[in-house]
Amino acid sequence: MVFLPSTASATSAVDVGLKRSHVDYSRYLSAEARSRLPNPIKSIWKVAQVKPGTINMGNGDPHHTLYPICEVNFVVPSIDEHDPVQSWRSGTGEQNIISSYKDEPCALSLRTAFAYGAGAGLKDVRDALADLNDRIHSPPNHTVSLSLGNADALTKCFRLLGDPGDSFLCEEFTFSAMTNAALPLGIEWVPIRMDNNGLVPSDLERILSNWDEAKQGKRPHVLYTIPCSQNPTGSTLSLERRQQIYQIAHDWDIIILEDDPYFFLQYDLGVSQSTIQQYGHTRAMAEVLPRSFLSMDYDGRVMRLDSFSKIVAPGMRLGWVTSNSYFADKLDMLTDSSSQHPHGMGQAFVAELLGSNGWGVDGFMKWILSLCNEYQRRRDLFMDVFRQKVATSGFATAEVPQSGMFVWIKINLEHHARFSASQTPTVPGGPTTNTADLMDELFRKLLNNGLVMMPASTFAIADRTGMMGSHINDRVNFFRATFVGTDETIRNGLATFGRTLEEFFL
Amino acid sequence: MHTPQINNNVTSDNGVIDLSHHLSDEARIRVANPLKDIMRVISECPVTDLIPMANGDPHHSFYPFQQIMYEVPSVQDPSDPVTSWNNSGRTQIFHSYRDQECALPISKAFRYSRAAGLVQCKDALTNFSNLIFAPPNHHVMLTFGNSDGLTKVFRLFGQKGDYFLTDEFSYPGITNCPLPYGVKWVGIKMDSGGIIPEELEKVLIRWDEAKLGRRPRILYLVPVGQNPTGSTLSVDRRKKIYAIAQTWDLIIIEDDPYYFLRYDVPQTNCASADPDEFIKNFTSTLIPTFLSMDVDGRVIRLDTFSKVLAPGMRLGWITSNKLFHLKLGEYTDSSTQPPHAFGQMFVTEMLSEHGWKIEGFCRWLRSLRLEYQNRLDFLLDVFQREVEPTGYASVKRPEAGMFVWIEVFFEKHPRFVHERCSGGSPVVARTNTECLLKELFETLMNVQGVAFVPASMFTIPENALWVESDGHVPLGDRTRFLRATFASTEDIIEKGMIRLGKGLREFFQE
Repeated sequence: MVFLPSTASATSAVDVGLKRSHVDYSRYLSAEARSRLPNPIKSIWKVAQVKPGTINMGNGDPHHTLYPICEVNFVVPSIDEHDPVQSWRSGTGEQNIISSYKDEPCALSLRTAFAYGAGAGLKDVRDALADLNDRIHSPPNHTVSLSLGNADALTKCFRLLGDPGDSFLCEEFTFSAMTNAALPLGIEWVPIRMDNNGLVPSDLERILSNWDEAKQGKRPHVLYTIPCSQNPTGSTLSLERRQQIYQIAHDWDIIILEDDPYFFLQYDLGVSQSTIQQYGHTRAMAEVLPRSFLSMDYDGRVMRLDSFSKIVAPGMRLGWVTSNSYFADKLDMLTDSSSQHPHGMGQAFVAELLGSNGWGVDGFMKWILSLCNEYQRRRDLFMDVFRQKVATSGFATAEVPQSGMFVWIKINLEHHARFSASQTPTVPGGPTTNTADLMDELFRKLLNNGLVMMPASTFAIADRTGMMGSHINDRVNFFRATFVGTDETIRNGLATFGRTLEEFFL
Repeated sequence: MHTPQINNNVTSDNGVIDLSHHLSDEARIRVANPLKDIMRVISECPVTDLIPMANGDPHHSFYPFQQIMYEVPSVQDPSDPVTSWNNSGRTQIFHSYRDQECALPISKAFRYSRAAGLVQCKDALTNFSNLIFAPPNHHVMLTFGNSDGLTKVFRLFGQKGDYFLTDEFSYPGITNCPLPYGVKWVGIKMDSGGIIPEELEKVLIRWDEAKLGRRPRILYLVPVGQNPTGSTLSVDRRKKIYAIAQTWDLIIIEDDPYYFLRYDVPQTNCASADPDEFIKNFTSTLIPTFLSMDVDGRVIRLDTFSKVLAPGMRLGWITSNKLFHLKLGEYTDSSTQPPHAFGQMFVTEMLSEHGWKIEGFCRWLRSLRLEYQNRLDFLLDVFQREVEPTGYASVKRPEAGMFVWIEVFFEKHPRFVHERCSGGSPVVARTNTECLLKELFETLMNVQGVAFVPASMFTIPENALWVESDGHVPLGDRTRFLRATFASTEDIIEKGMIRLGKGLREFFQE
């Protein structure tokens, strides 16, 4: 495979190379990943490329003259607008045409984009994203591989790192569609307590230091976390917590899967206009965006997952994984043994978009800042209406999310006449309240009144270790609501919510 | 040794045979969307117009695409769109719109979707599939191409200790994939017509479950333009194989990327402007698929656009019975998710009224087939001129695909060694054929500057436990081929064959 690790920027650590060269990462891998071999036919192709003038009759690749697409034009927003997202949505803005060609010069020729390639993705695209990484995170020494989005990347990481019987750590409320995906692989989840500010580091430490391998099997070596706009609780981990968590990971030798699709949707940033003018949008954003786990990863134990799904569109099916070069290599082998390299049109589009004939990286960050402003406006609207229509009763409360798309609404069930806090658990360690039942009732009531929100139970990870001390069903008194719909949706939805709560509690 | 009842003539009502016992543990444990219960409750709610505050999906007004235009060949010229395309012929534009009508609008295409893919694209491919393959009772699911599809299918059925059946020469880019999770392969003997049904049956009859574990139940085939041998299974062989599959309860994985690149068939009357007539003529030149004869629902067919549009399209589809379709959908939801909007939009527009329509796509396919046939003819001409006269190699004309399977007569080499065989393992090679092959491959690459793929890269290791001794020639002694492609330009083909001829002379006359 031909990789280029991200180029070291001025701020990268100097002594990292030495430290890393002594680390053996193979012990983290699943048996499957350890035994996987590279595609032998591709090795012939590589050798053939090394010697110039070699006639390659080895690979059955259709010739580019037979690709029936010579040009693709994408009509996209002009990034020259002051507020591109606003202008785009109102239809008042200018448009740009971004073009990819097969037989004419462009950032990434369709001849290359439409050919077979290596699993990691095309160099031009990887380099552009590595450059973005450098400017935002300054990762110490990492490699970029393309993915088909974060679900693809994450589930591949599960295969890479997990053997049947392994325990992986996660937030006690999490993106259960993904944690469920790990179950058929024989991976079991160990939930970590959360509070208003996300994953609680001391609970992570408690679980690891109390772990009894004789009774519980191998100590967990992977932590799955969604540090920004945590799904579903909407919290964003503070810098201090991230540092504590990284230290714990270092002490207990844990790989951190940093799943960060909402990273670029941040609010109350206070971006400096003068920095924008002097240095461009990327620098201005880099100064105010949260510090990722990647940015502090001197051990090479972070696999960071970025996606275009929330900042361009879900159907892009494109993202990038940043990790140490050993993991990147193994990940690419898995990709070469399964889904193969990402689709040409997506790669061509990203190459043009980030290239000099498109928005460029700064233009892309301008679009992102514009998105942040638009989502922030909705967040503010949501919180305003929430205060007026819901919070006044005292039956529900919500913190203001700092990023992403979710509000984690707490239902204050203790006010309910039928709330019971002293039930005998039906099984040892079982719930001692009727929270789950009441929440189910409330969910159905909301539905009948015409409103859909996700109940916390959907995202709850039950503790199997017996070490947690309280059953999660006693803490599922939350709804995950989103503010990504229209203003009307937000107003009508919250009005219905407030009304239904009154009916439920009184 | 278990000999099951022969039931060649099973006709199930609409394929309702229960094949769930074939699923791997992983596939069995995998559950549908964990939000399923919630979704069920929501869908059962009598209230219409639910206010959605549940999903974190960006609203489509945020998608930064207003239009996408693709410039493609025009297929209106009835005779040869491929040649026109390369001679600045007329072109056509497919459009994907946000604000105007089209087959798959941007606002829908870029959403999160589930399982089988966007309904518009799925329907377009189902229509195509029904017209061309006439599957008895199957469902279409989108993939990112056949590697993606196959590796998902392998996970659906395979787990540690299982054996899968396939051709004795097979493409390792695919057969290597399930090895890391403990699946092994059994290679079945081939001849120039592909896998030999009687040999397949022998392996199944002979299989000793006490020594080897569960008898293999999965048969993986590339029935048209097999990679690497270029063979194509005749209709007669297909019927025999299907009957064996019914008798021994096998699942047939039909991997068919070269299906439309089949040569020397009667030419479709392309002057016919009538679309239906054209399609009818075109489909009559196609060989019946395993899918089309799949009354039991035991065939999983994989189609891809890689060889007929472009490899980078990363789009294909799987046609299978309902159970497998649902299970594959669950697995897709738990992994890659359905394919990208770009590919789904392109294909849907291509097959739509505003695009090429099915008829136009068939014109492209027909033209492509002729183009590859020309290249095949060219290679064989140059081979005849430059290689055949050496007397050290020969090649048979393949019926389909992109490869020729060049046989090299190593027995003519001064260092060819043949040990007399008296007993011993039936699978240990008795000649140094494979060593000489590797030497030839290396000298061709390093000295002559031409790269082929030696047959040794494609062999499935034999095991004495499933190989019959009498008269069996070990695979190592039959590994005497080079795979060459004719998919490149005439210049490359010509140079390649000249270097091959020269290389053979130097190698054999050392």
